Amino acid sequence: MSNNSHTLSASLENYLEVIYLLIKENRVARSKDIARKLQINSSSVTGGLQSLRSRGLINYEPYEFITMTDEGREIAANVVHRHNTLKEFFMDVLSINEEEAEENACRMEHGISKNIVNRLMDFAHYFKTCPNAGVQWEESIGYSCNNSVKRGRCCIKCMVEENAGKRSGNRSNGFAAGGHTSTLDKLNPGESGIIESISGKSAIKRRIRDMGVTNGSSVEVIRVAPMGNPIEVKVKDYHLSLRKDEAADIVVHTQDATEKR
Amino acid sequence: MKTQYTIAIAGNPNSGKTTLFNNITGSHQHVGNYPGVTVDKKEGRCEHKDTALKFVDLPGTYSLTAYSIDEVVTRNFILNDKPDLIIDVIDTSNLERNLYLYTQLIELEVPVMLAFNMADVAKARGLKLDMKLLSSLLGAPIIETVGNKNKGTQALLDAALKFIKSTEKSSPPDILLGRYIEESIAVIICRLKKHTAITNERKLRWTAIKLLEDDKEIVEKIDNQSIYEFVQAQQKSIEFMLGDSAEMLIADHRYGFISGAYHETVRATIETRHTNSDRIDEIVLHRVWGVPIFLGLMYLLFWLTFTVGTPPMEWLDALFSWIGNSISHTWSPDFMPAMRDLVINGVIKGVGGVLVFVPNIILLFLAIAMLEDSGYMARTAFIMDNLMHKIGLHGKSFIPLLTGFGCTVPAIMATRTLESRRDRLTTMFILPLISCGARLPIYTLIIAAFFPPVWRAPILWGIYLSGILLAILLAKLLRKSLLKGDSVPFVMELPPYRRPTLKGLFLHTWEKAWLYIKKAGTVILGVSIILWALTTYPKTEVDHTLPVEQQRAIQLSNTFAGRVGRAMEPAIKPLGFDWKIGTAMIGAFAAKEVFVAQLGIVYSVGESDENSIPLREKLAKAYSPLVAICIMVFMLIATPCMATIAATRHESGSWGWALFQLGGLTALAYVITLIIYQVGSLFVT
Repeated sequence: MSNNSHTLSASLENYLEVIYLLIKENRVARSKDIARKLQINSSSVTGGLQSLRSRGLINYEPYEFITMTDEGREIAANVVHRHNTLKEFFMDVLSINEEEAEENACRMEHGISKNIVNRLMDFAHYFKTCPNAGVQWEESIGYSCNNSVKRGRCCIKCMVEENAGKRSGNRSNGFAAGGHTSTLDKLNPGESGIIESISGKSAIKRRIRDMGVTNGSSVEVIRVAPMGNPIEVKVKDYHLSLRKDEAADIVVHTQDATEKR
Repeated sequence: MKTQYTIAIAGNPNSGKTTLFNNITGSHQHVGNYPGVTVDKKEGRCEHKDTALKFVDLPGTYSLTAYSIDEVVTRNFILNDKPDLIIDVIDTSNLERNLYLYTQLIELEVPVMLAFNMADVAKARGLKLDMKLLSSLLGAPIIETVGNKNKGTQALLDAALKFIKSTEKSSPPDILLGRYIEESIAVIICRLKKHTAITNERKLRWTAIKLLEDDKEIVEKIDNQSIYEFVQAQQKSIEFMLGDSAEMLIADHRYGFISGAYHETVRATIETRHTNSDRIDEIVLHRVWGVPIFLGLMYLLFWLTFTVGTPPMEWLDALFSWIGNSISHTWSPDFMPAMRDLVINGVIKGVGGVLVFVPNIILLFLAIAMLEDSGYMARTAFIMDNLMHKIGLHGKSFIPLLTGFGCTVPAIMATRTLESRRDRLTTMFILPLISCGARLPIYTLIIAAFFPPVWRAPILWGIYLSGILLAILLAKLLRKSLLKGDSVPFVMELPPYRRPTLKGLFLHTWEKAWLYIKKAGTVILGVSIILWALTTYPKTEVDHTLPVEQQRAIQLSNTFAGRVGRAMEPAIKPLGFDWKIGTAMIGAFAAKEVFVAQLGIVYSVGESDENSIPLREKLAKAYSPLVAICIMVFMLIATPCMATIAATRHESGSWGWALFQLGGLTALAYVITLIIYQVGSLFVT
């Protein structure tokens, strides 16, 4: 069997595959149907069938139904398996559309080794059952998952974070240490925290960043203005004022969560 | 024998940059403008060891992005003018944030050295710095200075000269931005090499970083769609891989570099929780006492400007009338009579009328300079922002608006502290609605002539209040229509309090006062001559037997102004005004208080001021109280005086905005007065 499969040409493998599928579908395969499926004329089908018969893969006499030998059936089943695995991988993992996946699977199914097919299959399987499923492909971004803790992080990173979150019993934030996540505007005078992230409009973000409010720096709320709106904070050892709605864009992690009542 | 070198001084706001600049250049400086924008360009000269040095005091900035005009101006100056050296002034007591600018300056391929200013404050706070190590880590010479005590200035100049003349250039470190971003930079540089003319390696790297940071100016300059799309893809991939935007990550790396250098070289020997500055803030920003203290200080500012300023103003007034009188005595009326009249009544009255406010202007700006240099100015914005933000403005707009009660011109000049152009234009536009000191004579004259004493105060209060309310409405309207856009973030430093230096106060005040005087000598002189001509020509022969006052009234009614006033009558009749008021209003364009004098002439009562009883009586006979209200409303809103228009033109950099202010406010005044008069007439007959 292995001898034959090594030497079998791509076009002969295609014959076998078509015959296999036709028999599965209609119980029998006719040369006319084979010609239609492969989009070639029936006279050239005869040559291919004779070649397959000479290798002992099918039983074929002119004007009779075609049946497969055990050996032929095994090779054909392998080809179909490779085809399906590739197509599935293209569609499910790479997010290629069905038409393109089908076409490429047809071309690639012949030259690929069993080992790689198995690996691809395993990977597709893992991929589909991974806890952070929902991976999408977007033009120019590439692959990203929309189901993870923070959109845009790579899968491994978000898994690590999620696990860390599970360990600390706090699934909603990525920080491993215990504590409390809040926005800067919610802190009372005298409270402090570490800046975790800054969202919001880029102009404000840029300005805040230029003034030293970067991720990981510590910030302390000093006071609220007499009329209640801008707040004064201390960051990098100097005093900065900003409006509450601007402060709301700054996510801080406070360590003294237990002290908060 | 002398070569001239250009040295630019850069640094964060409040780093003591300007003090250092003043120490170096003394009075040998002048203020200009950067082309196309109203950012002061301060230049000064000094000679050190037989070498002429030109110093440029760049605007204070935190960064070199394209966030504000100041930043763009600073960057373009460095890129285009290529100074021989940049001295980056660092507030040593706030090292980490101040060094951020340095990390960007060294990307620009201009030699940079560091002046660690306020070294004494840092020492007092218990910071111990290993200068030698820090200097080698940062790759630049460091000189310690104490600006307000003028220490270290000579050492700084020595080092600067040595640095410029040395053939061995220092090599500032390349701040690596992490493997992933560095890869992106490398591929962007490849694209840039292919599609642009940039060949210099540092410039390429800088451009690539700016593109990744989404710098508008650079994106526009490169103007290449394929590069732009490529950079966007890179940004997205960085954001995807590293979980934050490229620009934030680049900033993180820069701060990371600084933090590394800082922790290796700086040791805090004492733990300071509360500095003196914190203690002052505990009082002046107190939740309950903060506002009263603020109001008290503002009252003090007014008192200083207008009470202390009045005697010198009267002296100046007397001086100008003395000059006028002496000329009229020595200059025979038969010798070039037209010229004589022009000099006495046009030039001296017109320019003198504006120059008499110089003492007030000096005092006002002295007070503002004190607020600014001490650090309290930032606190006023902090206190007032909640209120100002509600009308679409920034906390910093408060001081200009307050100044407007004194005089609109310095108020418009004071809008320079506003960072956003939209905020500045809005504030300038509404400023004439804040009743300035020159409108008080008009109000006083009219109110006293038409209303019983009980009503006088409430009506005056009502007029001021209507102006304020209208200003608020107009500001809101402008921010929703013509000047639409996001309000600027309030993010602002509250610098530690500092004792202002005399030199600094003097220079600050002088700059502004000089601007004002210059304006009086140019634009205002021109308009004064035109207005003089309008109210003088053509001359008519009058019967010399009549009393002088009556002669002048007939004269005036036949001049262009009188004729225009008459021609205007159909247009202003629906407002309840006759040609006499129209003529007086033309005069008011020179300066609002001229309205009173002009009205006096038309009613031929001789030189009038607001206290002249005959004019009051004549007015009360001629018009109804409704018309009186209309006059005040119209004078409140319409036609800012020519000095205001000139100031708006200068500060906005556009005649369009100045003329729009003139036309827009006049149209608004017309409509509002029309409604008041027409509706009012239905009830009062």
